[in-house]
Amino acid sequence: MSHSAEPGCFPKNAHINTKYYNIVIYNILERSPDNMINFDSNCLNNEPNFFKKHSCDDNKEASFLNRAARKLKQFLKMNISDDFKLHLSTVSQGTLTLLNCTSKGKGRKPPSLGEAQPTKNLEENKSLKEQKKQNDLCFLKILLQKIKTCWNKILRGIKEH
Amino acid sequence: DFDDTELDDYSFSCYSQLEVDGLQHLLTCTFDDSDINSTNLEFEICGALLDVDCLNFNKLQERYFLKTKKFLLIGDSKICVKLEKKNMTCRKMNIVKIVKPEAPFDVRVVYREGANDFVVTFNTSHLQKKYVKVLIHEVAYRQEKKENNWMRVNLTSTKLTLLQRKLQPNAMYEIKVRSIPYANYFEGFWSEWSPSFHFRTPETNGTGEMDPVLLTISILSFFSVALMVTLACVLWKKRIKPIIWPSLPDHKKTLEQLCKKPKKNLNVSFNPESFLDCQIHKVDGIQARDEAEGFLQDPLSLQLEESEKQRLRGGMQGPSWPSEQAGITPKIFRGESPFRCLAGNASVCDAPGLPPSRSPNGREGGKSRPLVYQDMMLGPGTTNSSLRPPFPFQPGILTLNPVAQVQPILTSLGSSQEEAYVTMSSFYQNQ
Repeated sequence: MSHSAEPGCFPKNAHINTKYYNIVIYNILERSPDNMINFDSNCLNNEPNFFKKHSCDDNKEASFLNRAARKLKQFLKMNISDDFKLHLSTVSQGTLTLLNCTSKGKGRKPPSLGEAQPTKNLEENKSLKEQKKQNDLCFLKILLQKIKTCWNKILRGIKEH
Repeated sequence: DFDDTELDDYSFSCYSQLEVDGLQHLLTCTFDDSDINSTNLEFEICGALLDVDCLNFNKLQERYFLKTKKFLLIGDSKICVKLEKKNMTCRKMNIVKIVKPEAPFDVRVVYREGANDFVVTFNTSHLQKKYVKVLIHEVAYRQEKKENNWMRVNLTSTKLTLLQRKLQPNAMYEIKVRSIPYANYFEGFWSEWSPSFHFRTPETNGTGEMDPVLLTISILSFFSVALMVTLACVLWKKRIKPIIWPSLPDHKKTLEQLCKKPKKNLNVSFNPESFLDCQIHKVDGIQARDEAEGFLQDPLSLQLEESEKQRLRGGMQGPSWPSEQAGITPKIFRGESPFRCLAGNASVCDAPGLPPSRSPNGREGGKSRPLVYQDMMLGPGTTNSSLRPPFPFQPGILTLNPVAQVQPILTSLGSSQEEAYVTMSSFYQNQ
């Protein structure tokens, strides 16, 4: 099984068979509320900058999941349903629980989703808010998909070994 | 005083039930000592929770429970007993390892008469759950009024078949079901028993007893077959085999049988006095066959042949014809006169040739002078070895008086171109 290049960041219980991880990841990733799966299809095709900086490359899976899970926690502040918030918490915290990372950023304040916009008139603010919300939802959708894909990559590596 | 004071035992046990109400789970804890004073005691769980660090239990009589969606279901939690916010005792537990499934329900038993079995079915709420879906079910049944004599069967499906022959006939049975998690990730305890279902087995045990009508038919059939086999063995030689596999007539044996069956009116004596009532015609003499051959082309001989034929036929049909008495009709003549008499001498006749036939003593009658016995005229008890022709075998023919009725006792026919033969089948038929 490939381990993260960053020191001290790797999936816990690596010696446990794949079935354990299958069940756990299923419980984390597959139990998302049905009404939250399909987001707005108008998401921009441009990939957010976050994913340009961090990706699930070889030997960097655990590190990516660690960052993605922490990023996921930020979306709990969004105006979303309680069930969906619960699901995001499950994915985020479950991922962090399964990883054993000694993050450099431990203790630091998690970064915000975006920079504060300068004050503008009401109409422009409203439009910007809507746009921001839409962008955040698209970001969230892509983030959940990336986390699921990276976990499957780790599980395949466990199977091969 | 430490001797009189017993330390309270705050040991406790917990179990979890997942998705009992939608996405909500239930965690239940109780003290092992039921006599403990739990007035000021509280339970708290920390760790492996979503968005919070700890959660407090609710209390209902002597039970402490927590109904929440915030179980992470990964990793261990710490459950503590608190007395005035002071931890008295704590235990580390994994919520997914103390799962107690919900009890099965809707137990039904249906009897199938054609299959002689009972189909047991039941239902469980875990079929619709996402987490704990795979369970082991234990079906327990017993005959009522027999305490602690439970039969148990484990299965993963919700359907079971019980064979009728393994149950007592005309008896009341009680049956119930419980479940336990069956997966590598989820573990836990047996659920509560389902409500019992009661059913009665039919009176007759169909597997052990036969239908009386069928039994009677089977017995009768057996005896019928046995009787037929016995009769077949007894009658095989005399009745059955001759029909199925008729044996070829044996000249020797046939003649023996004829000799063994003297006819009623058969006179087997050589004493001339016993034939006083019979019309006996003397045989004038025997002429050589060579002389008789000369008369073959004589038209007079043809006329004579016709007359002789008629007489012979009339004689053959006479009441004193031995063949009639003996029941034998030799098929000697093939349509031609058996006698071809010399011209001018009706007494000199030539008999049509006969195929070689066996003499009574087993020897062939020779190629040129076969003997034909129309009637054995032998006494009873004559054996094969003692059989002798009643008249000495001589070449030539016996000339018959054309006037008198012909009652030949013995006809010695010389061979001729026309061969007449007595088929042994005629003996067989007349027998």
